[in-house]
Amino acid sequence: MKLFKSSLLTLALAATSTWVNAQSLAITNATVHTAGEQGVLQNATVIVEGGKITAINPESVSADTVIDAEGKNLTPGIINAMNNLGLVEVGAVSRSRDAGAKSADITFDPSLAFNPKSTVIAYTRKGGITSSMVSPRGGDNMFKGQIFHADLSGGFDSVRVANNAVYLELGAESKGSRATNLQKLMNKLSDFQDKMAKAKKDDKKESELKRDEKVLEALLSGEKLMVVYADRASELLNIIKLKEQFGLNIAISSAADAVVVAEQLAKAEVPVIINALDNLPSSFDALNTSLDNAAKLTEAGVKVVMTSGGDTHNMYQLRFNAGNAIANGLSREQALEAITSNVAEVFGLNTGEIAVGKTADLVLWSADPFELSTKVDKIWIDGKEVSTQSRSDKLRDRYMATSDMPRAYTK
Amino acid sequence: MQKFVPTLLVAGMSLALTACMQSEKQDPRVSINKNPFPSSYKALPSSATLLKNATVLTGTGERLENSDVLLVDGKIAEIGQNLSKSNATEVDATGKWITPGIIDVHSHLGVYPSPSVESHSDGNEMTGPNTSEVWAEHGIWPQDPGFEAARAGGITTLQILPGSANLFGGRGVTLRNVPSHTMQGMKFPEAPYGLKMACGENPKRVYGSRKVAPSTRMGNMAGYRMAFAEAAEYKRAWDKYNADYDAGKNPTAPTRDIELDTLMGVLDGDIMIHNHCYKAEEMAMMIDLGKEFNYHSGTFHHAIEGYKIADLLAENGNCAAMWPDWWGFKMEAYDMVQENVAIVDGKPNSCAIVHSDSSSTIQRLNQEAGKIMFRANENGFSLKEEDAITWITYNAAKSLGVEKTTGSLEVGKNADVVLWNQSPFSVYAQAEQVFVDGAKVYDRFDDKYQAKSDFLLGQE
Repeated sequence: MKLFKSSLLTLALAATSTWVNAQSLAITNATVHTAGEQGVLQNATVIVEGGKITAINPESVSADTVIDAEGKNLTPGIINAMNNLGLVEVGAVSRSRDAGAKSADITFDPSLAFNPKSTVIAYTRKGGITSSMVSPRGGDNMFKGQIFHADLSGGFDSVRVANNAVYLELGAESKGSRATNLQKLMNKLSDFQDKMAKAKKDDKKESELKRDEKVLEALLSGEKLMVVYADRASELLNIIKLKEQFGLNIAISSAADAVVVAEQLAKAEVPVIINALDNLPSSFDALNTSLDNAAKLTEAGVKVVMTSGGDTHNMYQLRFNAGNAIANGLSREQALEAITSNVAEVFGLNTGEIAVGKTADLVLWSADPFELSTKVDKIWIDGKEVSTQSRSDKLRDRYMATSDMPRAYTK
Repeated sequence: MQKFVPTLLVAGMSLALTACMQSEKQDPRVSINKNPFPSSYKALPSSATLLKNATVLTGTGERLENSDVLLVDGKIAEIGQNLSKSNATEVDATGKWITPGIIDVHSHLGVYPSPSVESHSDGNEMTGPNTSEVWAEHGIWPQDPGFEAARAGGITTLQILPGSANLFGGRGVTLRNVPSHTMQGMKFPEAPYGLKMACGENPKRVYGSRKVAPSTRMGNMAGYRMAFAEAAEYKRAWDKYNADYDAGKNPTAPTRDIELDTLMGVLDGDIMIHNHCYKAEEMAMMIDLGKEFNYHSGTFHHAIEGYKIADLLAENGNCAAMWPDWWGFKMEAYDMVQENVAIVDGKPNSCAIVHSDSSSTIQRLNQEAGKIMFRANENGFSLKEEDAITWITYNAAKSLGVEKTTGSLEVGKNADVVLWNQSPFSVYAQAEQVFVDGAKVYDRFDDKYQAKSDFLLGQE
């Protein structure tokens, strides 16, 4: 046990002060799963100030609020990726959907439609998810638009990074050939390169670039991530070639048959974003899916990000997907990284790890974070504690209450 | 929709009857073959098996510690401690758990198989709101690799249903989850047929968008009532034909109608209702509809709002098959609570079931049930493993009308058994061995017992 010189002060503050942003928090006596280089720290203390992690295991603890974790597991908040959180309230209610547009192109920014008050958000916190890489969906263009990073605080300032990455889809086509989009993409990139080379020669200024060209420029400079949807192994090799030819920063989403080319993906440092529960041959592009693919890919040196496979309303379950991946060969540390630090690394986020300087997105679990019987005890987003109560809890309480009046009077 | 014109037929029959009042020679009796595609299922080869020293969940609400289960000749021969049997294959199940074979009452394996290709999309005859004449078994592709994956998750029995586009989607069929290259080779021999019905948004959306009925929930109810009214006439005509024939007359048989055969089967109590129905107010009306036409309203599937009418379901003997947490894809799926199954289960004489409707979660119905148990226990319930297992075993068997032969570990019942590496309600739980009728159909550690679909042979 650590000694808290601040305990009296904490009590006084709790009694008198309302929340201020700069208030400090100490989580003590936790089993800290850093998802980073420090691995797992026993009986550790994490200090949070101004929404950031400012210290781990300091010599002495001084904080406005001290939480004794009683040895329980503290992990980084889980980051889900490639979903439509905040962009869809009810799937079949067209006017509650904002994730895609027929005319969407490479510049489409769905973060402008993000609704932090969606009931899905509070519900999703039950899964210890603190932020999400929200992606556009649909549209005629192979470029679906821009992926953004939003936290699950429910505040109007939830969007942390708009236009974080470009999302595009390659692969099987109902009409025509999959070759068309790949060819278009290669032409688009090389035409733009040629144009830039010519402009440089003619000494033209960058300000003459159109909006979509600015995105291409960011992709070609490698500063912006391009997430490409593809499944078939031969297609994944094509994407590796693209990366090498144009110097792109690429991650592959879905990547059903990645195990077939795991070595090549590892060598080319192309991460994959997969649903670890995909184990059926869902198409002719996905004939090598298996519950142990997350383990096999990780073993081969591929950086694996796990997602809940586009299921926005139940993306809270991501930790269970990770648990199933553990049951099928992944280590506990690797599984945690695949839903926290790996996501942050691939998308360039300052969260997903318990380390000094990172945003304080944290979850304290009642027990093993991956187990069905475990629940979120406490969850902090940007250093602030948030609730896991959602609309469904209200409904349950209403219908479990005893009353001789109609249920509508139970609120 | 009114294909059967009872007035004319009845008139014709009475004419015929007046004409032959004198006892004349009877024509051969016209009868309906209720089982034209009979099961050819045979249990796989087996020898006596003794599973030793496990935690046993019986499926009847009991939990037995350090107990043995003996499987002989396809049946549960004995359950108890320190059992022995000469020549039996002994399995040391110390630290492991044994449950009845898992049953999924709602699957589309085979009719919406993997790979998902147009050529195998055979689950929804979306060509009219009443397709009681179609049978899911006629659309099953037995090579769906999903059957193998489900077996590895402990599924031994499953009902394949048509989709929910129509008010009457057609007949469902209950299968044994064994590999076979014909549907009949999987068909559960004694299981009654099911009839898939659908409430709510799907039928009214599918047909409303084509500007045909139903386009509203009013139209849905009207559609069911018109169909059952017609079926009642059809049944009366057949009942009269049979009564007259039995009385020595020589009546003319009613014109055979494949669609009405199914609805008559419901009215006769031979076919069980499986009703896709999410909302409290709709389930309440479907219960009344059954009373209006004198059939039992059966099992409600996807009963997202079951918790709002848990009393009503129990009082009327309706099973409700539910997900732990699916929601939000439609308005009718908006009011989900994670404790739904537990609340429905909490009433006396209830029949709460966890179903999948998914080729993925059918592989983990144990985990689906586990999620519910743990969430409910965080919110006022005190459910145990022996309670939760009934949602995916005995109650499911009851919903399918096969509870006399499977769904629980009781002496004399079919030896449908799963051996788990630990409590099945853990995220790390895995089925190690799966038995159907006493025969091992899956072994996690023995490739010999891991079947592979034709489709996957030779694929790279």
